[in-house]
Parts: sequence; structure tokens; C-alpha cells
Amino acid sequence: MSRKRSVIMDCDPGHDDAIALLMAFACDTIDVKLVTTVGGNQTLDKTLNNALRILSFAGIDVEVAAGAAKPLNRELIVAPEVHGESGLEGPILPSPTLKPSDRNAISAMWDVIKKCDDKVTIIPTGPLTNVATLILAHPEVKPMIERISLMGGSCIGGNWTPAAEFNILVDPEAASIVFNSGIPITMCGLDVTHKAQIYNEEIELVRNVGGKVAKMVAELLDYFALFHKKFGFEGSPMHDPCAVAYIIDPSIFTTKACHVDIETQGEFSTGATVADLNDVLKKEKNVDVALDINREAFIQLLLKSMKFYPMA
Amino acid sequence: MKKPIIIDCDPGLDDAIALFMILNNKNFDIRAVTPVSGNQTIDKTSINALKLVSFAGSNVPVACGASKPLYKELVTAAHVHGESGLGNVVLPDPKIGFSELNAYDMIYQEAVKHNNELEIVALGPLTNIALTLLKYPDVKDKIQRITLMGGSSGCGNDTPAAEFNIVADSDAAKIVFESGIPITMVGLDATHKALVLDEEINEIFSYKNKVSELAANILSNALIFCKAHGFEGAVMHDPLAMACIIDPEVMISKDYHVDIETKGTFTNGKTVVDVYHVTGKEPNAKVGIDIDRNKFMNILKEAMMNYEL
Repeated sequence: MSRKRSVIMDCDPGHDDAIALLMAFACDTIDVKLVTTVGGNQTLDKTLNNALRILSFAGIDVEVAAGAAKPLNRELIVAPEVHGESGLEGPILPSPTLKPSDRNAISAMWDVIKKCDDKVTIIPTGPLTNVATLILAHPEVKPMIERISLMGGSCIGGNWTPAAEFNILVDPEAASIVFNSGIPITMCGLDVTHKAQIYNEEIELVRNVGGKVAKMVAELLDYFALFHKKFGFEGSPMHDPCAVAYIIDPSIFTTKACHVDIETQGEFSTGATVADLNDVLKKEKNVDVALDINREAFIQLLLKSMKFYPMA
Repeated sequence: MKKPIIIDCDPGLDDAIALFMILNNKNFDIRAVTPVSGNQTIDKTSINALKLVSFAGSNVPVACGASKPLYKELVTAAHVHGESGLGNVVLPDPKIGFSELNAYDMIYQEAVKHNNELEIVALGPLTNIALTLLKYPDVKDKIQRITLMGGSSGCGNDTPAAEFNIVADSDAAKIVFESGIPITMVGLDATHKALVLDEEINEIFSYKNKVSELAANILSNALIFCKAHGFEGAVMHDPLAMACIIDPEVMISKDYHVDIETKGTFTNGKTVVDVYHVTGKEPNAKVGIDIDRNKFMNILKEAMMNYEL
């Protein structure tokens, strides 16, 4: 049997972050060593509490460490329009039984990575503030990271400004540090996540899996769908689960290696992931940009993940 | 009534084809051609424009415009269009001279004369039009539409973020896009689908008039360059913009708000297209997203066919 892949989940739950977490813990080829939280979809106190609530509810025991409350060099932007005031509106979740770690996210990440026998994969599903801080504080960490599979960015059109996707827009300086780090990166941006939509009838399939976790996920998806319907989507883009799905099964993705720069100075395009898909710069290809996904296979993977959790 | 138009251009290999597409069209009253620096320096683009007009048997006034972008320095596209701006194409000396008016005064004069009937087809950087707007702010209410080749809602061709005509003078583009004049943006999203294939170039050559033979020669040159960049045909950016004014149905477009980035480190010259309607700002441009290639080829072929032998 091959060794499980060591993973750190860095997130800001967030509906789709919650589902991404549950998919990662359900996967038998992934060993999630640590969960870190960051300010993003909601403020850090809320994203931390949400991570603890989701993991407690699913009966998962893991170290959860709080990271950055705000971006490196900017004020925090949050997304209550999408995720509600708590950051996780929809299902009724009891208070967490899990307690947050005594150490901060950066210390915990560095310690976990140092102690790990093999390279660690980081899956960031929020702004990249924690990962950038790790790289700045411990530059020697770079060769110890197998890959960063992140949700963020877009080659065509943004969802928070016309040019920028939310996670990158919130902390473009952090994104710039991560994208220029030399660490192998998979970018699951809107180009792919808008193709990874879940439709109403599939939310029912999730609910019908049975058990309290699947039911809770279906309720998260119900709430998430309300927002996306307003914006003319037929279904809900499963943004963050894409970043996890890529690590579970890259074969369901179509990616293209290219050079990507992060705009931090633009008047209208700050936070743009400037992807050189046509290779006009002939610069080093620093990112595998996900451009398409086998949607049916992705939904099957989500359903399979839900079956991992107890039916009772 | 014939439609009054002005053609603002920087010939330019594909500009030449675009000019040939309209110079013999009986439905248009071409009031002027206004060259601008872009693909090459103004001395070259202006003489090329004059020679092309003359070669096509027209005597449309050619009124010269800006020799450099509003604020930044000129960067030409000599690697695409050659030192002369027209590759290896050699044209006879023109039988006509330049207009005494400059481009800005010409555009304003014609806009006033044809109050809100005049349309502009802009095939190069938008310096001339921006300068007209700066010199005569009231001109914004006197131009019916600007159909421009430029921009992209996705990747660029000059930088990863920007298309050549817009990045060449992004400050001018910003003025034009913010002017309130209705805009049709014929960008890379559409023009990369306006391909002319080998056999179609042969067909155009077979019309055996001097314009079609020259056009076929230009298309063959463009084809070599475009194939080296992974396209299966010659990409006809400017001719698509011209085709749009001849028959708007040649392009499928959507109304979007477009901002022009002039400050970015990596995104200067990007046409920031609000494809997901997140700003709530009113659309200011019809942005081309696809084309009817058959219709495009028919417009091109019909124009080439109808020159005298």
C-alpha cells in the first residue's frame, strides 16, 4: 500500500471550505496533519469557530490552528453576501467540542512540515496570507512542500471585481509571494470552478446519502445555491472542493502549465492572476492552471466522500 | 443615404486588407482616413495609408494624426509588420497628397457636419480619437459609434494581460472608453476566430485584379507569421472590425462595462471586462465574443472580387 499524502488544509470556512475539508478527511489517500484558518470569507474568529464546528460535528480530531486575522498589507475584505454573517449560514451546528491549538498557524505549519518524513502538500482555500507568512518567516520551507493546490484566481473575469477573484483580491501581496516562491502550484480558479457546479438534483443525492454529515452538507449547499441563483448560475460552483479534488484525483482535471503574475498595483485589476496562456513572455512556467474538469466524475467524488461519514 | 465614416488606422498589414474591404463599398461615404502611429511610426503609417487609398483607386482625404501616444513613448510592432509597416509589399507612389487638415480637426469637422451620423472605425491605438476628445470635448455627442479593433476579455497578445492597440496607448483608450460614445469592441476574443485559410487566400488571388493579388500577397505573409504562432489561418484583426461596420451581424457581442487599466505592473493596457457583472456599472461597450466566419469570408471575398482588373 502506498503511503498517504501528508496535507495541510489552510481555509476560511465558508460553505465550500467546509465541504473541501470534509472531502479531504474522507479520502483514504490523504493524511490531513493540520488545519489552519485565515481571515477571508469571514473574520478570523468566525472562520476558526466554523472550522472547529464542522470538524467537531463530523467527529474529526485534528489540530486546528488560527492564523492571520488580516492580509499582509491591506484591510480585510469579507464576503457575508455569499456566506452569511456567521460565514456558515444554513445548517444549525452545535458549539464545537474541538478546542483550537495553543500554537499559531505559522508555528504549527512549520513544525508539522519539519517533522514530516516526506514533503507536505498545502491546500489553501482562502486568501494566501498564512502560506505567504510561512514562506517569509521560514524560506527554507520551500523545498519541503510537495505542491500547493489552491483555490483562487481566474484567467477570464473575476467574481469580486471584473479582474479579480475573491481569495486573490483579499491579499494580492500574499498571492504574489506564493506564486513567485518556486513551489509547484496548481491554481483552481474560476476557469475551472465555474465548470464544477452542483445542481439541485445532485444536492438531493447528497442529502439522500444519509447520516447527519451528508444532511448538513446538503443544507450548506441549499444556502450556497440561493446566492448563486441570484447571479444567474444554474448551479453552485464548488470552488474550494476543486483544490482538494485535484489532489485526490488530478486525472479529472485539464491543466495548462504557464507563467502567472499577480497584479498588486492596478487601478482596476489589482488581484488579477495574469496568466500567460499564450506564452508571450516566454517566462518560466510557475503554475499549472486548471482550465476544465470532468464534472460528473467530480460529483461522484463528492458523493463518495459523503459516504465515508457515519450513517447514524 | 450612404453612411458617413472615418477610418482611423496604422497600416499595418491587416489594416491594408481592412481598407481594401471598404474603399470600393458603395454603401459608405468615407469622409477621411486618419493615420496614427502604432504598428509603425507615423511617417510610415501615413504614407502607407496614402499609397493604399491611391492604389485602390480612391481619393479619400488622408489626414495625419499623432506621432506618439498621449503620454508614453511609442513602441511599434515592426516584428509583425516589418520595417515599412507593410512587410515586403511594395506599392506605387500615391497619385494623391495628404489633406491639409490634421486628424483631430478632420474628425471634428466631419462629426459636426454629420451631426451624430458619423461612425468611426479605429484600427490602431486610440491616440487620434482621444486627442479629438481632448481638443473638442463636445465631439462626444456628435459621433454615433466607434467600432474599434482592440482589447481582450481574456489573455492579451502583446503582454499576457493586454492587446497591442490598447496597451500601445492605454491612456488614450481610457479616454475613449470613458467618453460615453457607443463603442463596439472587436477584441481578440472575436478576432482570433477571423482566420483566413490557405485555400481562401488562393481564391482571393484568383480574382486576378491588382487589389486582390496584393491582398492575397499580404494574407500569405500574415499566414506565415500566424502559423508560427499556432494559428491555422491568417488572423484578420482589423478586417473583422471593418466587417462589423459593413454588416454588424458578422460578430456576436454582449454589452459589458469595460474599464481600461493604466496603472498595473502586469496589467497596463488590459481591457477589464466585467463579464460576471460584479460592478453594477452600466455597460459602455458591445464586446465581440464570437463571429460568423462564413459571413466574414463572404464580405472579404465580395470586396476583393469587385475591384476592376
